[in-house]
Amino acid sequence: MLSFLQRRLTLLFITAFILTIIAFIVDRVLVASHNPEVINHQNYFYQYSNYLWHILNGNFGYSSLDNKDLIKRGLVFFASTLELCFVALIFSSFFAIPMGILAGLFRNSRLDYVIMTIAIVALALPVFWVGVMAVLLPSVWGDLLPVDGNLSLIYDVPVVTGFLLIDTLFVVDKYDLFAFIDRVAHLILPALTLSFFLITEIVRLTRSSMTMVMRSNYIQAAYAKGFSRRKIVVAHALRNALPPIIPQLRLQMSTIFSFAMTIEIVFNLNGIGKWLFISLKSGDYLVLPVGILIISGFILTFSIFIEIFMVIISPLRRSALYAD
Amino acid sequence: MLINNGFDEDKVQSPLHYIWSIFKRKSIAVMAMWLMIFFIALCIFAPWFVPHSPLSQNPEKMLLPPYWIEGGDVNHILGTDDLGRDSLSRLFYGLQLTLGGAVLITVCVTLLGMFIGASAALAKGIKASILHHLLDTLLAIPALLSALILITIFGPSYVNCLIAIGLSLLPQFVRTSYLFIKQELSKQYVIALRLDGATKLRLFKYGILPNILEPTVTVINRLFTLAIIEIATLGFLGFGAQLPQTELGSLIASSMELVYLSPWLVALPGLAIFSVIIIVNVFSEGLRQAIIEGES
Repeated sequence: MLSFLQRRLTLLFITAFILTIIAFIVDRVLVASHNPEVINHQNYFYQYSNYLWHILNGNFGYSSLDNKDLIKRGLVFFASTLELCFVALIFSSFFAIPMGILAGLFRNSRLDYVIMTIAIVALALPVFWVGVMAVLLPSVWGDLLPVDGNLSLIYDVPVVTGFLLIDTLFVVDKYDLFAFIDRVAHLILPALTLSFFLITEIVRLTRSSMTMVMRSNYIQAAYAKGFSRRKIVVAHALRNALPPIIPQLRLQMSTIFSFAMTIEIVFNLNGIGKWLFISLKSGDYLVLPVGILIISGFILTFSIFIEIFMVIISPLRRSALYAD
Repeated sequence: MLINNGFDEDKVQSPLHYIWSIFKRKSIAVMAMWLMIFFIALCIFAPWFVPHSPLSQNPEKMLLPPYWIEGGDVNHILGTDDLGRDSLSRLFYGLQLTLGGAVLITVCVTLLGMFIGASAALAKGIKASILHHLLDTLLAIPALLSALILITIFGPSYVNCLIAIGLSLLPQFVRTSYLFIKQELSKQYVIALRLDGATKLRLFKYGILPNILEPTVTVINRLFTLAIIEIATLGFLGFGAQLPQTELGSLIASSMELVYLSPWLVALPGLAIFSVIIIVNVFSEGLRQAIIEGES
């Protein structure tokens, strides 16, 4: 276990190193192509170690628009993107996991076909198109849900954690729960839009994992023992079918972020996607390396933590570890 | 597996032939296949049969609805946009960039990814390890972000958008094909082939490739679907095809403010993307089922 942990952490270290190199290259190329007179003629190794030193000290540079610390603003925006992804994940798991389990249990039945058709239709609708249609909803249904912004402007919520769902709870004495409810209302439509893609992914993964488990020998053995189908599914199949979905979903993380950033631009949410989009349009190119470091750094760290977490909760993976 | 052409001798079908004979029986999948071929042909031959040039403007006929709606014109079957350009022709040209780009990305990424994945799986030691770490890092950069990087450095263009999408989809493909091949390598028939002294190429061609056909079809289908969606997304955000190129996503973006006036300008490109993805998914699902039945 300890050697595994050490190996993963080394891996994290190496990938983070490669990531800083990529960010450095982007940074230098951007400076060279947009601001040729300040080209640094020192050797690249020296420049890189300088860059790395700045990053390690938390100095990511300042925005050329408002002269604010880039990393602080970036992290605040990124927190709201994470919030969107997290809420969408909960939404879609709520619908998709039962659907996937049913489809896997009754494979090739009519129910399976219906569920898979829903999943393919949800995939085939482009995220931004659904977003545009959702923005039009108020003209059809009246103002049921807000379609733009993170929070109504009347609420003044100081940034504590960056996650608005938590921050609004800190100001309960000022606004009661209204700020929190307002935030939830603002999240519903974007999160639903993002969950269109996630539902397809989770249904597909749950279905194939469920089918694999139901075919395995220990389920056959349980049938042979005379257990009821309900007991087999609840006690034996689900426990083994659900954990393998998580590492598969991890591979889709960059696609999910890509879609979340698109949704932010469509719904005018203050997330990292919109921040990058707006800053680049107004010529603040230094946000790009910071954006790369934040988003990709998060994905890398998170995937390695998931891997470690999987080893802790799933005995199958642990045994595979000891086999080598 | 055995076919008899009226002679007394039974002939053994090749596996691919057998899979094809199963596939032919699935009428929906066959229909999807023909529709797919039809769409691709439509893309290739669009310049020869579109009724109007996608860029020719007509101030007399602006914002016409489709011809079956009151006020429509038979000359413009799907109506016109705010500059009097024919929607149908623009849709065909848009499909050319969206579908054509997706096919291009799929072919390139499949070939390149298969090659990298196979060489990573068959290689050992430091080569595999370097490849792994590099891909892990690339996997962590979302398509939109890499597109932003390429666009800020080289300026927005359709080709840059294709490169960015290809770069972001490649690591996913390499990852999955690497895992499949790695699983195959530990099987007994591969070891038997190795003991026979087969070269790596032969091992891959005869030992591994026929056995990873089914997961590969699924992955290629995913790749294609994501490529279409991401090309359209980047086009929508204005990072993909630049004016005067027409692309389905940028078509939607350009008629966003007209959506109350003529909603079909937004609905039709969306519908085109939707139907292409559905058709490809139905086709690949049929193919996958045929392969599973053929193998069992």
